[in-house]
Amino acid sequence: MKYFNYILTACCLFLVISCVDLDISPLSEGSTENWNSTEEEVVMSLNDLYKSDFWITASDYWTDDLMYRAQLTEINGGTMTSESTQSNSIWQLSYKAISRANFLIATIGRANLSKEVEAKYIAEAHFMRACMYSRLIFYFGDVVYYENPISLEETDGMGRTDKNIILQKIYDDFDYAILHLPKSYASSELNRATKGAAYAFKARVALHMSDWNTVKNAAWDCMQLGVYKLHNNFGNLFLVTTRNADESIFIVPRSLVYNLSINGNDIVNVISRNAGGYGVEDPTWELFCSFLCTDGLPIDESPLFNPREPFKNRDPRCSYTIVQFGSEHLGFIYDPNPNALKVLNTTTNLMVTNNDTRTNNQYASWNALIWKKGVDKTWLDNGKKTDPDKIYIRYADVLLMYAEAKIELNEIDQSVLDAMNDVRARAYSVNKSNISSYPAITTQNQSELRKILHIERRMEFAREGLRYYDLIRWRLAEKTLNLPVYGLLDPTPMKLLANQGLWFFPETPTVDEDGIADFSGLLNKGYVKKLIDRKFDKERQYLFPIPAKEVMISQGIITQNPNY
Amino acid sequence: MKKKKQKQFTSHWYYYLVLIFGLTVFIPLKMQAQSTTTTSGIVIDATGDPLIGVSVTVKGKTIGTITDVNGKFTINIPSEQSERSVLVVSYIGYKSQEIEIGKQRLIKIELAEESIALDELVVIGYGSVKKKDLTGSLSSVNGDAITERKTTQISQALQGAMSGVSVTRTSGSPDASTNIKIRGITTIGDSSPLIIVDGISVDNIDDINPNDVENITVLKDAASASIYGSRAAAGVILITTKRAKTDQFNVEYNFETGIEKPTKLPDYVNAQRYMQMSNELGWNDAGNGTNKYPTYPNDIVDNYFNLNREDPNSYPITDWTKLIMKSYAPRQSHMLRITAGSQKIKTSASIVYDNIEGLYDQKSFQRFTSRVNNDLTINKYISARVDVNFKRTTSNSPTTDPMYFSRMASPIYAGVWSDGRLANGKDGANAYGIVKYGGTSTNWYTQFAGQIGLDVKPFDGLKLTANFSPSYNFTKIKTFQKAVPWYTAEDESVLGGYLSGATTTNLYEERNDNYRTTLQFLANYTKSIKDHSFDILAGFEEYYAFNENLTASREQYLLTSFPYLNQGPATYRDNAGSAWENAYQSFFGRIMYNYKKRYLFQANIRYDGSSRFYTDYRWGAFPSASLGWVLSEESFMKDVTPISFLKLRASYGSLGNERIGNYPYQATIQFSQALFYQGNNVVSQQTAAQQKYAIQNISWETTETFDVGLDANFLNNRLRFTGDYYKKNTKDMLLAIQIPMFVGFENPDQNTGKMWTEGWEFDLGWHDKVGQLNYSITANLSDARSKMGYLGGTEFLGDQIKKQGSEFNEWYGYNALGIYQTKEQLDNSAKTSNSVKVGDIWYKDISGPDGVPDGKISPEYDRVLLGGSLPRFQGGGTINFEYKGIDFGLVFQGVGKQLARLTPNMVKPLVDNWGNIPAIIDGNYWSYYNTEEQNLSAKYPRLSLANQSNNYVMSDFWLFDGSYFRIKNISLGYSLPKQILQKIQVQNLRIFGSISDCFSVNKFPKGWDPENGSSSYPITSSFIAGISVKF
Repeated sequence: MKYFNYILTACCLFLVISCVDLDISPLSEGSTENWNSTEEEVVMSLNDLYKSDFWITASDYWTDDLMYRAQLTEINGGTMTSESTQSNSIWQLSYKAISRANFLIATIGRANLSKEVEAKYIAEAHFMRACMYSRLIFYFGDVVYYENPISLEETDGMGRTDKNIILQKIYDDFDYAILHLPKSYASSELNRATKGAAYAFKARVALHMSDWNTVKNAAWDCMQLGVYKLHNNFGNLFLVTTRNADESIFIVPRSLVYNLSINGNDIVNVISRNAGGYGVEDPTWELFCSFLCTDGLPIDESPLFNPREPFKNRDPRCSYTIVQFGSEHLGFIYDPNPNALKVLNTTTNLMVTNNDTRTNNQYASWNALIWKKGVDKTWLDNGKKTDPDKIYIRYADVLLMYAEAKIELNEIDQSVLDAMNDVRARAYSVNKSNISSYPAITTQNQSELRKILHIERRMEFAREGLRYYDLIRWRLAEKTLNLPVYGLLDPTPMKLLANQGLWFFPETPTVDEDGIADFSGLLNKGYVKKLIDRKFDKERQYLFPIPAKEVMISQGIITQNPNY
Repeated sequence: MKKKKQKQFTSHWYYYLVLIFGLTVFIPLKMQAQSTTTTSGIVIDATGDPLIGVSVTVKGKTIGTITDVNGKFTINIPSEQSERSVLVVSYIGYKSQEIEIGKQRLIKIELAEESIALDELVVIGYGSVKKKDLTGSLSSVNGDAITERKTTQISQALQGAMSGVSVTRTSGSPDASTNIKIRGITTIGDSSPLIIVDGISVDNIDDINPNDVENITVLKDAASASIYGSRAAAGVILITTKRAKTDQFNVEYNFETGIEKPTKLPDYVNAQRYMQMSNELGWNDAGNGTNKYPTYPNDIVDNYFNLNREDPNSYPITDWTKLIMKSYAPRQSHMLRITAGSQKIKTSASIVYDNIEGLYDQKSFQRFTSRVNNDLTINKYISARVDVNFKRTTSNSPTTDPMYFSRMASPIYAGVWSDGRLANGKDGANAYGIVKYGGTSTNWYTQFAGQIGLDVKPFDGLKLTANFSPSYNFTKIKTFQKAVPWYTAEDESVLGGYLSGATTTNLYEERNDNYRTTLQFLANYTKSIKDHSFDILAGFEEYYAFNENLTASREQYLLTSFPYLNQGPATYRDNAGSAWENAYQSFFGRIMYNYKKRYLFQANIRYDGSSRFYTDYRWGAFPSASLGWVLSEESFMKDVTPISFLKLRASYGSLGNERIGNYPYQATIQFSQALFYQGNNVVSQQTAAQQKYAIQNISWETTETFDVGLDANFLNNRLRFTGDYYKKNTKDMLLAIQIPMFVGFENPDQNTGKMWTEGWEFDLGWHDKVGQLNYSITANLSDARSKMGYLGGTEFLGDQIKKQGSEFNEWYGYNALGIYQTKEQLDNSAKTSNSVKVGDIWYKDISGPDGVPDGKISPEYDRVLLGGSLPRFQGGGTINFEYKGIDFGLVFQGVGKQLARLTPNMVKPLVDNWGNIPAIIDGNYWSYYNTEEQNLSAKYPRLSLANQSNNYVMSDFWLFDGSYFRIKNISLGYSLPKQILQKIQVQNLRIFGSISDCFSVNKFPKGWDPENGSSSYPITSSFIAGISVKF
């Protein structure tokens, strides 16, 4: 009997201790089954679509506005393939946001909100979805389209939908958003998507698809809202000190405190060497030369241009965008002149070794130019982290989109000139009507205006991620992205050249009808160095490749774009 | 919530119980005195040498002793019983003897050596079995063979030790773990084996100190492993730790010291060559125009060495590897073990301390482990086990791993100025400065675990066991990243700036807190009726795991001497935390039967439930059966003299796997943050989204294994052979296959996919003795090959793939036709883009959208399977000699076949645009400066960064024979003669030296160890000397 007791004890132990429960639910995550059943949950789902991850822009490094020594990207080097991480990530991110917006639209009924509130939230989701599809059809042309949550089974056999059909759906989404989104938010409310943002993004997708009437109307409606106005100073619009400007229509805010900042290489690649950066991501000479002179003429036509003092008499945006030689920048006088071996540290008032001239430092900017736009001393603080707004679309863009649409429609009237002159006068910090203090635009000739508008956009939007879109839709990429990247001669010959008094440009390059400067003349004379040849394959590169995985998984039902 | 609290309470309760038992390890034992008769004797071996520590007990009594250093023993037996008593004399490695005492008072006993280990017990799941009665396939290695390797981690010591066990590593870091695979790959998911230590599953094999290991057994086939059912599909490693035996009283101390030295380090071109080649690269990328010196002016390149002598700060030359790395790193360890075993209480307690320095500053590893194993005999019916183990490791590393930097950084930047002060490297990129001054990241890992077990034997043959084992694990990580200022070369008071990656002083803290509990109830019944023997096991087990982690940080500290959170500014603080849990419940049973020890049969079943699946798909049953036929027991085989033992085995069974995250069937909402303006203030708002698509009806994946094996011993058991052939078939594989990206979710786990693994393996051993020379030679070889069946999709891994018909992780890329030599070749062939030029790699146009070559090289249609990436024909072996106290051991290991890849980091010039140029490509690449003949034999494409996406993309151009053979370890030891030691009351004293990973034969490029990852800590050779004393 003794052992019987032991068995009994063991069994009791078994019953007491066996308390493992196999029905375990995630401890730090929610469940999709009943998500979106309260207004808080709906708002949290919507908030997700505002994450900065989804709001990526094209890179200026892909274009003729920015250079990185003698290096190219797979886009301006012409080596892009369907394995490209660039095209994969745009595709994937956009669809992630689309599926989340679809999920919200499909499940918002769970929350039993009032019709009005529900419509506003659905409008936000429509807005987000439309922005994402806009991006997809711009980069990829025809893409897979769906507007409800889909199961894996439903994906079978899904192919690409004509981009023009998708465009109509995008318009519908934007129109719904326009109808239900508020014009603005009170200062106690969160700034979410607005009616104006929906108009502006609708205009942008229409612009990308050259649907000029829609551009005209959407931009005009946005202008008529009376909510937005141009910021009074072009230079400080992009600085940390200007937050949530009236000109900004859709912003992704940054914040050091919340760990979303410009940091690392995005800082040091841009700032000067004297300030502790690399000065390696630089504005190109082509961009520099595209800025008009204060008489409204290009540099090769204007008598005001002096190649020895190339910043003089230029559109003010030139030195708001590119650091003017001899000006104070980040605590030092910026002077890349080969003979400027010492420069003034304006903080200590001491002359220090000038690392921004290639005579002293071989890696100082290879074309002597560095970016000014958006860069200020806050870039040196906090271990080189800063948090200005990431402006995704702003009012100046709406004005110029309106003007471009009217020009292309050949409906040129005073409103076109007003829109363009608004933008230009602001650059000069003067009133549009004060036409003696800035080169006001007066011509009503369509082709002249078109040329002016193209140059105006380049001057206005440099380093804002818009140049790539413009190069693609103007079919300008095949020209400008097949030109070489130019830079300074090596330090020793450069010094010889400078000693002959030929600094900065030994002669003025010619500028063609597209505003593109031609340096081949200077190259032939040995005045400049060709750093690398850009390459753009017009047979394929106007569209990105569809990710290879997508083509392979669908067994070719999702077709590849031509020539990839 | 309430229930959770309770659970924690019970667990804590056991925690204390284990603690209390652990503290009572040495309970002195008293025996009552009564009238006794003294018997004494001496135990010797065949050569007449006395045997020390031989156990001498009285049969059926609790009286016993062990022999002293002279082999002598004295035993007191109650007088009235003495003449009828029988002495049992046993000693490890010798045949036990029973001697009737009768009237003898002085007995001389000669013990014969046990020539074979067939009677030895082999550990199997939830029990043990005599080796000759085995029907499954397993391999084992004893603890001495593990410690002899002198590796810090056990897993490293298993390399090449057993057939069918593949151990791969990519780093020689002292705290680096390895990748263990048993019999190849079983599943796409986690193919790492289940680790069981003293019956309880653990997360990490390296939690056990190699010195504590008694035995490691690997269960390879389904029949052996299926008692572990659900988690055993990838094999099971059973580890038993050292325990005391009756009448064993020892104090053992072991000391080792030595150094670690990189086996190989890659070479890079010198500063001048670097500039020349950079110029060539720039010239190539600028279109080969007139300027052949686009980056570095010719006069500087030509005079660089002179310029460097005159002005080393402006024209630096830095050997980054030399600057950052030390040539060797010292290591040492101490081990103390106390063993005390009486009839009632047997205790084995060990303390081991290891300290291993790193090959660069701030890198070190310290480990302290302690293990106390107690066996208690309470009474005739009850016995108990109380084991406690403790582990504490401290791993230090710099805040930035310098390995990648030390290889890629180009030589023309200054690491230090000529006066020795810190320089800014490449514009602030200077890993040397960060290693030296940039603070430390320390990881403290503390484990406290134990086991309490109760055995009840109510009647002969039946044993009931209850085990409870908690394990508490705490990780604390503190990374204090210090700002590193550098001052200009000209003036040590002028701040130049801060090194990149070290611009501010930041503190990051991390805490992980987890516990695991295992509860087991086992009933084991053994019975023999005439020629029939039964062994029946039934059991229940449950397991619960809980993990919680917490991170917190503050940035921009003003001071660099206070690594605590509250010393940092509140503005830049961040924190996060999360938790997960999972649980299993299992019922299992086994029956072993044999008839006349000739016909063996075994059947297992396990019924498992896992919290990872939805209620309706949660439970799975995993049966197996195996048969054995001992031919040598048959009468017709008795006369075949060369054969001493011959057994045929066959087994079939199924195993499960479900290691795919913790909540795979539940679509979950994950939380994140987004920023908004509120007025003109930025505020952070919580966001929520489903990120992963979920499939509710997923369930177990199963692997069926078929195995046939043969065990044969020849020539009086001196030659032993074990061989197996197996086939594994995995179905309903849990796969996160690529779903269309446009669905917008991460890939979900689904029960799809089949794969097959086929392989063979054998072990061969020869043990013999010639005069006083004992020697043995063993060797093992195995191969496994996996083929993917229908997967319902494809998994892409960049340059590897798993798809129907491919091998597991087969290389996937283009077929290279060589390097373009002429413009004609270039113009007349398909290319990846129109930017391809002569000197780039030329690929074959295989297909297109219409199934025929389309004149373009595209990732969709022109990539093909290029061959398996996994090692094949893996083997190893040992050679041991022992002669008059001198012992010599040699271990070797190798991989017979492997397609290895020259990774871009190994062959690409100017990695990250300013990186170094590997010396192996210099003189071997296509160049306009070469003659046509030179270019025809070029091994590498032209220097280009613009076309790197064409040239360094995966293709068979970069594959080569990666097989290798390596001497893993050579050891030489000398044990002092016992006659000398007797005088100083020492049982054993051995001095030894050992060298590991010293030599290898392979086809890897110069400077690359076949096992070294391209930017990981070097594989090291160890040179160790030590002494071991046993009292």
